[in-house]
Amino acid sequence: MKIHPPKWADRLLVWYCNPQLLEEIQGDAYELFYRQAKENKPKADFYFIWNVIRFFRWKNIKKRSTKADHRQASFAMIKNILLVTLRNFLRQPGHSLLNIAGLSVSFACAFLILLWVTFEYSFDQFHTDPNQLFSVVTHVKSDGAVQTYHVASAVIDVSSVPEIEKLVSISTGERWPNILCFKPENDSKECVYLNGVYSNENLFSVFNFPILKGDPNPLNQPNNIAISEKMAYLLFNTNNPIGKIIKVDGWQEVVVASVFQNIPVNSSLQFDFALTFSVLKKEWGGNEDRFTENFFSTYLKTNKETIPEQLTEKLNDVRVVTEAYKAQNISYQAVALSDWRLKSKFENGKQSGGRIDYVALFIIIGSVVVIMAVINFINMTTARAATRAKEIGIRKVTGAYRSSIILQFICESFLIVLTAFLFGALLTQFGLPLFNSILGERVSIGIIDGWVPIYLLTLLIIISLLAGLYPAFVLSSFQPVKVLKDQFSAPFTGSQRLRKILLVVQLSVSAGIIIFSGVLYLQLNYVTQKNLGFDRSNMIRVEPTGDLFRNFDAFKNELNKNSSIISVGGANTNPLTTEAGNAGVSWQGKPKDLRITFKTIGCSYEFPETFGLKIIEGRDFKTQPQDTLHTEVLVSKEAVKTMGLKNPVGEIIRMGEAQCVIIGVVNDFHTESLRASRLPVILYRTEYMHTAAIYVKYQPGTTEQSLAALSKAYSQFERNFTMKYWFQDDTFNEIYKTEITSSRLVLLFTVVALIIACIGIVGLASYNVHRKTREIGIRRVFGASITQVMTVLTNEFIWVMLLAVLMASPLAWIAADKWLSGFAYRIDMPWWIYLVTFTLISGITIIIICLQGLKTIITNPTKTLRNE
Amino acid sequence: MKGVYLGELEELVLLTVGILYPEAYGVAVMDEIEKQAGRSLNISAVHSVLTRLEEKELLSSKMSDPTEERGGRRKRIFLLTAAGKRSLEEAHQMRTQLYNQIPKMALQFQWV
Repeated sequence: MKIHPPKWADRLLVWYCNPQLLEEIQGDAYELFYRQAKENKPKADFYFIWNVIRFFRWKNIKKRSTKADHRQASFAMIKNILLVTLRNFLRQPGHSLLNIAGLSVSFACAFLILLWVTFEYSFDQFHTDPNQLFSVVTHVKSDGAVQTYHVASAVIDVSSVPEIEKLVSISTGERWPNILCFKPENDSKECVYLNGVYSNENLFSVFNFPILKGDPNPLNQPNNIAISEKMAYLLFNTNNPIGKIIKVDGWQEVVVASVFQNIPVNSSLQFDFALTFSVLKKEWGGNEDRFTENFFSTYLKTNKETIPEQLTEKLNDVRVVTEAYKAQNISYQAVALSDWRLKSKFENGKQSGGRIDYVALFIIIGSVVVIMAVINFINMTTARAATRAKEIGIRKVTGAYRSSIILQFICESFLIVLTAFLFGALLTQFGLPLFNSILGERVSIGIIDGWVPIYLLTLLIIISLLAGLYPAFVLSSFQPVKVLKDQFSAPFTGSQRLRKILLVVQLSVSAGIIIFSGVLYLQLNYVTQKNLGFDRSNMIRVEPTGDLFRNFDAFKNELNKNSSIISVGGANTNPLTTEAGNAGVSWQGKPKDLRITFKTIGCSYEFPETFGLKIIEGRDFKTQPQDTLHTEVLVSKEAVKTMGLKNPVGEIIRMGEAQCVIIGVVNDFHTESLRASRLPVILYRTEYMHTAAIYVKYQPGTTEQSLAALSKAYSQFERNFTMKYWFQDDTFNEIYKTEITSSRLVLLFTVVALIIACIGIVGLASYNVHRKTREIGIRRVFGASITQVMTVLTNEFIWVMLLAVLMASPLAWIAADKWLSGFAYRIDMPWWIYLVTFTLISGITIIIICLQGLKTIITNPTKTLRNE
Repeated sequence: MKGVYLGELEELVLLTVGILYPEAYGVAVMDEIEKQAGRSLNISAVHSVLTRLEEKELLSSKMSDPTEERGGRRKRIFLLTAAGKRSLEEAHQMRTQLYNQIPKMALQFQWV
């Protein structure tokens, strides 16, 4: 066997060397090599490499400029490329459309995600100097765990910290006194409910909420109100209501001092009016202590860019946090405002993500979808190479450089990607409303806003290169002699393997997404179907008001006249969303250092009946007399177990100062979302005046009549307000909003992933059948049945599918298990879902392959074999 | 004319090409210089000198027939041009002329 110098060095030489000098240089190098190699091969190798390196001189290097005029793509050539692209497109329109459809759908997906991510990142960025804004969170350490609240003391004093320029405390909320009834000037019957904040005079100078009319600093007078443009139109139907009087909550008169621009959607802080704290104090009954003990959302503006850690340190100085709070294990932390939206979750005192997790998840999903589509594109382009091979051969024979063929294919890919891109953009623009409704928010960024076009352009270039480069290099590497002699099958084995690997990746991604979304769906189903221990359907929650309380018995009687209404009761907390616990419960025999949190619900005597609780032991609350208020309690079975009582009925327990007797035991029920474990519950009787909501239970199927009866009775007894109500079912769905939203999104992406995978399988299968046309013909001639031929065709794909599922299953299992672990009540991992997924995917694959193959199989073999 | 001046290595290569007539090509020149002058040069250095001399039109070149020892590649055979011959003569003449002008005394070394 003849010896050769190191191949790579030789190639390197060929690559860089000026072709005119190559022969003599290479010749000399070879001559020296052969001479030395007779004695010592490694030494010869070494010298060869050394010579190749030494030959690398300016004079010997290829000069592009000398040949530039041959290479430049002239106008005629570009015209030719366009023509050829169009012809190829039209030759196999089905294929081409499939290609474009797959790319468009995935682009649309990616664009939507891009818009959403950009939107999420745009939150709170419109303030001036967003880097100098911080929010203060409070960590409370108790029982070894740290609870974090996004508030700080109402009377926090930061005058000792020189960096802090301004501080603003804001009282926000979803209920009274933040959501108030306002009556439009002309029509004083119907309430308009609007959400507002109470704050100090820095609200409009710390944040960038532009004042359109009136006093630029409206909250410097205690009786001023600033209202949004929207509110100005709603109440006064003018944009200049400065100086008008508004009655807050029907009694406190305040003056409209300014009108501010409607708060942008991408602000975490949303409000329609702003009032001063002195109004809030009056709302609360003028209790100064109640105010100073309170905690509000607190934001800081520093006079220079500061590291949050440094600020945190200064906030925990005794002068700021005070001795009293320090003793209660309370500490503050400054958090950059940019984290307000995306990283708001705290776990045991440490920042632990938040929305950013979803953002990351969807960025991954978007990239995966695009990568899958690009893989399809590459697969289909290289698979169709056979039909292009002759064209490339002829081009080369007539003198095309390889580079010009590469350019041609990259241009073709670019054109197809560009078309798909435009379709994708169109789809995005039309799909945005649907996407918004699924998401339940308003992504206010369009495809041509801000930086988005630049992102898109970058994406376009990257994707065209990704999709175009590989096929271009593969296709341009054909040797014209072989191609024109019809021997092109040999160079394809490599890319055939690559195509299968890409298919494995695709199928495993699809399988993974299907499994994960299956688990997600089952768990959500479990959560919504699970018996909470009480009845939540067919129930309306009404916000009570002063006059209603005063005439409550009459109101109730009026309601009970309707046959559709079953029962009316009140409670101070909603059993669906009772977050606060009560650790101050004690009973006889309670170990001293035991700290147990109970959920305590103050309710009217109808509560157990209204919510369908079952009395297991003892008796229900009595209708009368009133003196059983705060002295009789019902406890849940869990509470009995927790307290270790043998005969609970008649036992005395203490809740704070109050001493109560257990009169009965009710069945266990959940008091918040199923993410948290069920806690023991104590129900105590309280008067209507102290309840936060009235619950009206009605007959199934009578929603409309009941609601009509309810609002009629309401307006009869309450003339100042318009009824504000919610359905308990809606509230329930609200609890699992994130999960429901993400399950819908995951479903959407599952469909997209499946579509793209199907397109991929179609492309590959059709290529495979095309390649095996003659084989199928010969098999048929020798008497193989249709089924046998089909088996041959599908066999190749079986291991691809197996591998895909094997790869996807563990990953999907880990991801799904992690998600499930966020629930205290969860389903077991459904193993059958893996089987179903495998069956689904292999079913689809086999069906597609068979459909593609059938056409060729049933063709008369003489036709397929004749062209030899 | 620029380039009539010969560098030391250029002169050496030019002479060697003359010696090797009609078989002067890269490797042969390199070997000959090593044999005659004892100087081991890298082949790429020889190449660059040869091309430089050709640019100065002191050498001309043509491609030979393919040879087996070079894997079927042709050699570039270098030949002295008239200008090359003249510049060699000039250089030689200049040296002799200069040498002859050295006073005898200067060449008489006394080993003390």
